[in-house]
Order: sequence, then structure tokens, then C-alpha cells
Amino acid sequence: MKSHDIIALAIISAMYIGAHAWAADVTDSLTDAQKATLHKTIETCGTCHGVNGRSVSPTFPNLAAQTAPYIEMQLHAFKDQTRADPDAQAYMWGMASPLSDATISGLAKYFSSEPAPPGRPGNPALIEQGKRLFQEGVPAQQIPPCATCHGAHAEGMASFPRLAGQHAPYLLKQLLVIQSVLRTAPVMHGVVKNLSKDQMEALVAYLESI
Amino acid sequence: MQPLVPRNWMIALRGVAGHRMANAISYRSRQACRPWVLAAACLALYILATPSRAVPSFARQTGMACSACHTVFPELTPFGRAFKLNGYVLDNIKQITGIDTSDRQTLAINSLPPISMNLMISYTHTGQPLPDSAISGALAKDGDLLFPDQVSLFYAGKIADGLGAFVQLTYDGAEDHFGLDNTDIRYAHHFSFGGANGNNHELLLGVTVNNNPAVQDVWNSTPAWGYPFASSSVAPGEITSAKVDNGAGGFGQTVGGIGVYVWLDEHFYAEITNYDSAIPGGAHPLDSTQTNVVQGLAPYWRLAYEQRWDRNSLEVGVYGLDASTHPGGGTPLQGPTNKYKDAAADFQYQFIGENHSFTVLGTYIHESQTLDASVLDGFAANLHNDLHTLKVTGDYYYRRTIGGYLGYFDTSGSTDPTLYAPASVVGSNNGSPNTNGYIVEVDYLPWLNTKLSAQYVDYQKFNGGSTNYDGSGRNASNNNTFYALLWIAF
Repeated sequence: MKSHDIIALAIISAMYIGAHAWAADVTDSLTDAQKATLHKTIETCGTCHGVNGRSVSPTFPNLAAQTAPYIEMQLHAFKDQTRADPDAQAYMWGMASPLSDATISGLAKYFSSEPAPPGRPGNPALIEQGKRLFQEGVPAQQIPPCATCHGAHAEGMASFPRLAGQHAPYLLKQLLVIQSVLRTAPVMHGVVKNLSKDQMEALVAYLESI
Repeated sequence: MQPLVPRNWMIALRGVAGHRMANAISYRSRQACRPWVLAAACLALYILATPSRAVPSFARQTGMACSACHTVFPELTPFGRAFKLNGYVLDNIKQITGIDTSDRQTLAINSLPPISMNLMISYTHTGQPLPDSAISGALAKDGDLLFPDQVSLFYAGKIADGLGAFVQLTYDGAEDHFGLDNTDIRYAHHFSFGGANGNNHELLLGVTVNNNPAVQDVWNSTPAWGYPFASSSVAPGEITSAKVDNGAGGFGQTVGGIGVYVWLDEHFYAEITNYDSAIPGGAHPLDSTQTNVVQGLAPYWRLAYEQRWDRNSLEVGVYGLDASTHPGGGTPLQGPTNKYKDAAADFQYQFIGENHSFTVLGTYIHESQTLDASVLDGFAANLHNDLHTLKVTGDYYYRRTIGGYLGYFDTSGSTDPTLYAPASVVGSNNGSPNTNGYIVEVDYLPWLNTKLSAQYVDYQKFNGGSTNYDGSGRNASNNNTFYALLWIAF
């Protein structure tokens, strides 16, 4: 194992442990007023992400069954404006700025518990190529298997997001903005550094299909 | 939306339900001193105030970029439609709140008011100069710079929980007048019912109070917010339009209405709003010096269905307006009325991609007119007239920065030589309102809130003819209009 792999693993482990602690159930401790705020906020989120976290437009990611720690991390990143890709600025900086910690935790719990969106069929050859990439990576290009962090079935692990069933155009856009560092994601910058656009398209076709 | 009819001509056209003055006087005779002409002119000042468009107030209130709600302003995205349907209340800025002793919220307003401004500067050039308004045989200046074309001040945003407003005050450069423009105040409440585990229904129930039929609509296929979003206020425009439309025959902002709407499962929309005359200025209570006065209530109705998939949305719908009016303008507001029944269909297809967005939309309006009052007063020859309007537009924008649209418009209707009489520029030589043509516009938006436009309107037929349409030797192509616009919202 190379040194940068060890560092990456250490970072991953730390995030995983931290995220588990973050995912503690806080909803039960909400006051009635906080619950009312949470309910109203869920309706607002649903305008774009779907009432049940399953969005129609691929501009907006599915949130259903997304891991709660990841949702919380991203909402905090929007709120403190450390996630600054174009759509984050256009939509989420404004949306997240008034959210309290309690509401953020409540949203994460709500959407993570919604049933996952079903996969959507696509180009079989492209999907197969993407599946290999996801499961095996490309050692020659120093691209590790995505499944290492995102789970064998892309179901996500704590602060590593669920990717299964996600809109392919959304995933592709995220890979591109991470690669161009418009979106900051320390672990991912190294992972996607050598990923070509064709490889990205295969990968997201597979992820959308499962 | 700004009608294709210029302000000067609209003043003439609107005299009696968009009929009488169009026949009785030329555009120039608006300066005559008959009291009802002056009253009509006052009325027109309000009617013609152009409605608003994209509003930075909303961006300030929500913290979201204009692109969240608009493809290119003022065309709405699905999120923009949801924002409007929900009452303009989504906010992210500090609130000033109050409660009573039972913990009921009594106040929830933005700490900073959602204020913004709109500035429009334009240049108009018609195919042939227009006749001078004072000297017979002379011509007006060839080309007209309006600085400003319009300046608007908005309050657009939340008033209280669930209650929001879109209020526009506009200074009109051509008319040198400041007045209330399009206004829509609405309250909305959200309900869930029937089922669990994601099988429940979502219902939005709302109330709207507004001053222009269809200004409350959320699709850009209906007249109030339809194409063209901006057009020259000083170029000639067609002789009439349906009541529900935004041209010479429409109510514009001379009515006030209250209505209810429902938005079910983000698919079905239904609304009914009742209007009565609310004419600013002139004699109040309304009397014979006013024009186009509604008798009883004028119900506006709307049904629509929207389906979204991927980056696409498709809406199909119907809408209409029933109105009985007294022509006024020197005739009493009693006795027979003119009856207008408008029934319309519309559609809108929209694709919003990362780099490309395009929309195709259109509407067809049929108006059935029963003109008891106008025939009695000698303003119309036929007791029954029909008017048909078709508008179809397609737009495309690249990265919301550069693009434009192409549109086709067609108005046709019954021939009525009294209703549509010859008059220089604004009249019809053969008694026909038939007008059709194309409109093309190219837009460049260096920033989301700044638009540079070049528009050309090409008339194939104008007020019933291609040549000598007005009986004074003017051709339809003489009214072809180049319109350049700098439009800034801040």
C-alpha cells in the first residue's frame, strides 16, 4: 500500500467514525416549534428534491435513502459556504443559510429514511464498463475502486454518499466540478484526478442503473 | 406583458371597450378636448403600464440566484412556478417576528424589505416614420429613444407566513407618468392528505388578489406573462385584442379581482378569480366618463396540467374570461351591455439543461362578442362578432447568456366596418381586425440581471390589410419595428 493510500484510508476512517457520532438521533429531542419548522423545511426541500426525496429533474439530486451524515455534512457546507460549486451557490447557499443544527439533523434523518429511488436502465455496454470501474478501479491510472468508500452496492457509508439510483447528469456534474476543484472534496480530488470524461460517463450510467 | 400596441395608439383604441375610439378618432385626435377622451387617456396611462419581470427582491429574500427561478428572466422555471404558487414567501433572511399571549405568531416580516428596481432604456425604429401628431402632412422623427422606457420600483416578497406580494410601481418614460403596475398579493397553505409512506397527496391552496387577469398565472403561455416580454411602446399596434389578452382590447390593470387556486400533487392546477372594474383616476364612483366598465363580476377561470420528467416539463391548459361591460365614454353605465366570452387553450414545453435551455409555448384564444350596447350607441355594426388570436413562440438560450426567440402572432375576426373603421395608422380600411406577423429577438445577458435585446416585428398584415390598411395609404410593412432594449434589474 502506497503512502497516499494509507493517508486516504486514515482520513476515510476518521470521517467514518466522526460521521457515526454525528448521525445520532436528534429528532426526538426537538421541541414542537422545531418540529413545525422541520416539517415546513421538508416541504421547501421537496419543491426541488421531491417531497419524498426523489427528484424529477437531474439538476437536483435524489435525497431519499442518502446517508444522514452525508446530508448533514453537505448542509453545513452549504450553510458556511465551503461548498461552492455553481449550483451550490445558485440554490443551496440561500436555502441552507437559515437552517439550525436541529433542523439540519432532522432533515438528514427524514430523507435518509425515505425509500431509495429505483435504478433506471441505460446503455448495457456503458453500464458494464461503469460497473467494472466502480468495483475494480483502474490501477494503471491510480484510480481506486469507488466501492471501497461508497459501498459494494453504492449504498453509501456514513459520510460517503449513496450513489446508487442517483441521476447520472447530476453525478457527472459533481465529478467534473470536483475534478476542477470548483467543489472541494479532499479525498475525491485525488480519486478523480485521472478519470476521463468517458470513464465518468460509464460510471454514472452504472450508478444510475442500480 | 407589454402589449404590442403603443401607448399613443392604445389611448385612442381603448376609448370604448377597445372599439369606439378606434373607429371614431385617429391616433392624433387623442389630443382633442372631449372629456371622455381625456378620461380614456388617464385610464390608458394605467392600462399601459408595463408589467414587471424578474425581481432581484426575490433573490435577496431567498439567497438564490435568478437562475433558480428563471431560465432567462422573466420566464419561470419549475422552481420559479413553485415559488410563486407558494406565495412568494420562501426566505432566508432574518425575520422580525411577534407573538401574542397564546403563542400565536402575529408578525413575521423580513428585517430588510424586499425592494428592487427595474430600468429599461430603448430605441424604436419603424419601417416608415409616423405622421406628426400636430401638423398635417408632416412626419414625426424617424426613430425614438426612450430614456427611460420604464423605471420600476418593486416590493416583491414575504409579508407574513404564507402571505406574499408582488407589487410594482412604474414610471413610464413615454407617458411621463408614475403609477401602479401589475400587482399580485397571495396567501398559500400546504396540505397533505390520503395515505402514508409516500403515497399521500400534496395540495396547495391559495388565495390571490390581483389587478390583471392571468397575472397570477405561473406559465408563460398565458397573456399577462407571455411573449414578447418587452416591446416598443411607441410603435403602432394592432387595433384590438381579446379581453383576457394584453392588447388594445384587454382589461390590463383596470380591474381588481380575488380568486382561489389549488395545485395538486404538482400536476393539477385550478383557479377561479372574479374581477370588477378598478379603474385608477377619473370619476369615482365610476360614471359615464369612464370607459370599458365591468357590469357585475367578470370571472376568470383556469385549468392546467403539468408533467415533468428529467429536465423537461410540459403544461397543457385552458383558461377564459366572461365579462359584461358598459362602453361608457359619454354613454351611461346603465342599460344594455357588451358581453365577451373568452375561451382559450395554451401549452408550454420547457427543457432546462446545463448549457442549453429552450421553450416552446403558445396559446389560442377565441372571443365571442355580443355587442348590444355598442350597436345601440352606434359604435359597432354587428351584434355578434368573433375574434381569434394565435400566438406561438420558441426560445433558446445558451448558458442563459445568449439566445433569443422567434414568434408568430395572428389575430383574425369578424369584419365590422363601424367597429374597425378607417383612421390614420390605428384604423382599418376594410373593417377587419386581421393582423399577423413574426417577431424575432436576440438577447445577450452578460449577467443574469442584465439583458441587451434587439427585436424586430414583421407584419404580414395589419388591421385587415397589407397595403393601405388604414385608408390613409399606410402599409402593414411600414409598421415593422426594430426595438433595441437595455434592461437592468437590480
